[in-house]
Amino acid sequence: MIKLETLDRDEALRYLGGAKTDPDENMINLLNDCEAQLFGAAKPGYLYKILPLPCEWLLVGEDIKNHLFGCHSAALICATLGAEVDKLIRVKQITDMSRAVVINSLASVAVEQICDKIEEKLFAAFPKSYFTFRYSPGYGDFPIELQKSFLSELDAPRKIGLSANSSHILTPSKSVTAVIGISSQPIEAKKRGCAVCNLRKTCRYRRNGEHCGF
Amino acid sequence: MDFKAFLNKKPFILLDGAMGTMIQKSGAKYEHVPETLNITSPELIESFHKAYISAGADIVYANTFGANAYKLAECGYSVEEIIRAGVANAKKACKGTGALAALDIGPIGMLLEPAGSLKFEEAYEYFKEQIIAGAEADLIVFETMTDLYELKAAVLAARENSDKPIVATMTFERNGRTFTGVSPSAAAITLTALGVDAIGVNCSLGPDELEPVISEMSDATALPLVVKANAGLPDPNSNEYNILPDRFAECVCALLKYGVKLIGGCCGTNPEYIERLRLALENEVYQPQSEPNTVTICSPSKTVAINGPRIIGERINPTGKKLFKQALVENNIDYILTQAISQVNAGAEILDVNVGHPEIDEKAMMTRVIKSIQSVCDAPLQIDSTKPEVLEAGLRCYNGKPIVNSVNGEEKSLSTVLPLVKKYGASVVGLTLDEGGIPKTAEGRFEIAKRIVERAEAVGISRRDVFIDCLTLTVSAEQDACRETLSALHRVKTELGCKTCLGVSNISFGLPNRELVNSTFLTMALEEGLDLPIINPNAQAMSGAVRAFRVLSGIDKNSVEFISAYNDAPAAPKPAQAAKADLPSAVYGGLKNEAALAVDGLLKDGVDPMKIVNEMLVPALDRVGEDFEKNKIFLPQLIQSANAAQEGFEIIKKHISAAGDAPVSKGKIILATVKGDIHDIGKNIVKVLLDNYGYNVVDLGRDVDPQLIVDTAAEQNIKMVGLSALMTTTLPSMEETIRLIRADGRLQNPDGSSKCVVFVGGAVLTPEYSEKIGADYYCRDAKESVDTAKKVLG
Repeated sequence: MIKLETLDRDEALRYLGGAKTDPDENMINLLNDCEAQLFGAAKPGYLYKILPLPCEWLLVGEDIKNHLFGCHSAALICATLGAEVDKLIRVKQITDMSRAVVINSLASVAVEQICDKIEEKLFAAFPKSYFTFRYSPGYGDFPIELQKSFLSELDAPRKIGLSANSSHILTPSKSVTAVIGISSQPIEAKKRGCAVCNLRKTCRYRRNGEHCGF
Repeated sequence: MDFKAFLNKKPFILLDGAMGTMIQKSGAKYEHVPETLNITSPELIESFHKAYISAGADIVYANTFGANAYKLAECGYSVEEIIRAGVANAKKACKGTGALAALDIGPIGMLLEPAGSLKFEEAYEYFKEQIIAGAEADLIVFETMTDLYELKAAVLAARENSDKPIVATMTFERNGRTFTGVSPSAAAITLTALGVDAIGVNCSLGPDELEPVISEMSDATALPLVVKANAGLPDPNSNEYNILPDRFAECVCALLKYGVKLIGGCCGTNPEYIERLRLALENEVYQPQSEPNTVTICSPSKTVAINGPRIIGERINPTGKKLFKQALVENNIDYILTQAISQVNAGAEILDVNVGHPEIDEKAMMTRVIKSIQSVCDAPLQIDSTKPEVLEAGLRCYNGKPIVNSVNGEEKSLSTVLPLVKKYGASVVGLTLDEGGIPKTAEGRFEIAKRIVERAEAVGISRRDVFIDCLTLTVSAEQDACRETLSALHRVKTELGCKTCLGVSNISFGLPNRELVNSTFLTMALEEGLDLPIINPNAQAMSGAVRAFRVLSGIDKNSVEFISAYNDAPAAPKPAQAAKADLPSAVYGGLKNEAALAVDGLLKDGVDPMKIVNEMLVPALDRVGEDFEKNKIFLPQLIQSANAAQEGFEIIKKHISAAGDAPVSKGKIILATVKGDIHDIGKNIVKVLLDNYGYNVVDLGRDVDPQLIVDTAAEQNIKMVGLSALMTTTLPSMEETIRLIRADGRLQNPDGSSKCVVFVGGAVLTPEYSEKIGADYYCRDAKESVDTAKKVLG
């Protein structure tokens, strides 16, 4: 089981704009309060599975092949905060929109925190190994249509109640699927950042000369 | 087949164990879909069934668990082929043994609305296809369900396309709920009301951990229970389960006292488990279930037992409410949801839902409102309409067991409404009136109540599920009528043994100080045995009277509820400060009360309302927007400022409408997240800002059908439409929506040009793409949406 711990405020604030500003006392109280509500609603679930490479159904498109180049296995991971968080955000959108956006951004931070914790488990399970960063269906030319096979490979609908809709959107919405390559050799640093990002033309951070941190 | 007789021929009915575990162990090869083995290796599948029958199974589940159109999409076989083959394999194994072959149906694999986007009606179609394909099976089993809504669609599909017995089991987590938050009692109440033959638990946990779930189910139903547990938990490395056959049988036997009748195994079990179960059960005695003590209604996550006065909130009803009517006409669901949440916060335990209005499609609205309320609110609902087709639409899409409001003593009502109540599994309010109107005397009303109860029982509805409303008449018109109502109520309660219901507020019509009359009448009625007062819970004297009554009549033990309702109540708000707040800084600081006070002060000083809007509110909002653009403030602060401005704006609206002037609206704008997309927070932020700049937003929600957008624009003559899409996969849906807007003749000028300005936004959109799909404007954020609206509508 994975338990959520205090969430990274800077990360949440970046999702809420205002990266150049320190939050005032009201904002800090709002964050604390919303975090408590989020933790009350979240039921974190996660799964992972190691696939030996090459794996035909997974290696669709050039980008994922590059990403996993030199890796002997791929870890498929998925994580979700559960359906209650979506409900909490729905309710807050009706009763208090400002809280809704704060809980929404904290929830995004929370699901990444679960992914970090899954990675820690992987690192422990594969000592003396090297790992790529997380690569998700929908990045580059790695098709988002793989979501369904990806989830069914992990038996995610039955085991943690995570599925995709007909547009390949994950439901519950505060969820992540990703692939991590595992290698016995050091991995050449892969390109991350704006140049390979799908959102580079419209990104709010870029517009203001900032960076999302990825 | 007489399933009851089948169940009764032995003390316990043995089910089979896992199919998946057997397939895995055999090493049989298949691509993603194990059900294809029904066709590629029929002998193998049949041999598993035979092994279970030899071990003692009375019912085997065909290998059809995942055989639905979604999961089979790329496997090369149709649903019909896979299911027919699967059922045939099971039937062949059963031949000559007396065992039954069940069509086994699991979840579709996509989440239903509201957590997901699969529509209830679409889920029904998936199940219908499976049920028709499996017509040769002896019974239908739904298992491993985690969503009661999906299970309801499945049960309805079975009831309407087959006459086979139905067994339904759900999967619970260690916290006693399913993934979607369904409680065991809500599952039991709803499935029992829907008329399935046996209910219970499968998969989930090991049998050693199921006692709390089974015991809660047992308290809520008289149906025989099913337990088909996992063999404990799998070891993450070896995938071996940790409960061995002897221990498994021992743990299951410990659950028999709750009325468990059908027993088998799920993941990790094999014929050995079934064999041990058979041996262990030889020494056990079946404990038949009895009817639960109290009548209950529920949503998936909340069960309300009618074992004392329970407040039904009356506010979701357009009668006499101008704003509510306007919200219905404009499809403004958020307004209705606000009413729902505020009533629950004020103490309502059940919400009455009435959306009758001559200018709208009441049936479609009832479906939409019920689904929307259930997406944000746990309270069970009372579906209220005078039209049977509206009641049916509501009953069909309701998740849980609702109340129907209402049937009455007229023949037409009895013969149309009661069958619906029975079919969809509800409780019903019975009004004591008939073709002759409302009888003047208690005796007359009692006679009608008796007739309603008899007719309900004749179609199989228990009298426990009939709540009689003896009707409140206006005391200022007929002073004696109050006593007749109360006396009829008393007789219904004591002589018919029915629960009672009463709309209270009507009593005081035409009198001053209505709340005093209402709360006094309410107290009198409670003392006569009123169970379900339909009141405005926001009126403190009304909900307070019910809470106090519960204390005084010993229902609220140790006054726990009463104390928690009042002890922590905040002190009375401080009187408004005399000093005039400064409007721009109140808006900038997001201070609602101060903004309201400031506007009030300005209006009292005789400042022109439009001047306040255009020279103070809007510039203050602009400043906030600019600072947000420059990353000087955070998004929640922008929204708080918008809400503060909204407070000010509301006061101006009231002032103008009191003065009889035309309302301030700078024009209507439709907002929607496109079909297939369920992300709506961005769209809602845009809505808040547009609202506060004085535009009248018609919010159609998320995952919106393109035709609804076109029709709404045409019917309400709306010239500006904002569309949001967050995913690359839903952009085609945005393109399609724009195409339909441009193609519809109603939205074109005589020269063929478009009347509608379309603006679009969302994370994956670019200005270039927006132009390509035919949008007029691309707005990168909420602020730019406002700028665009100013440009287009002024």
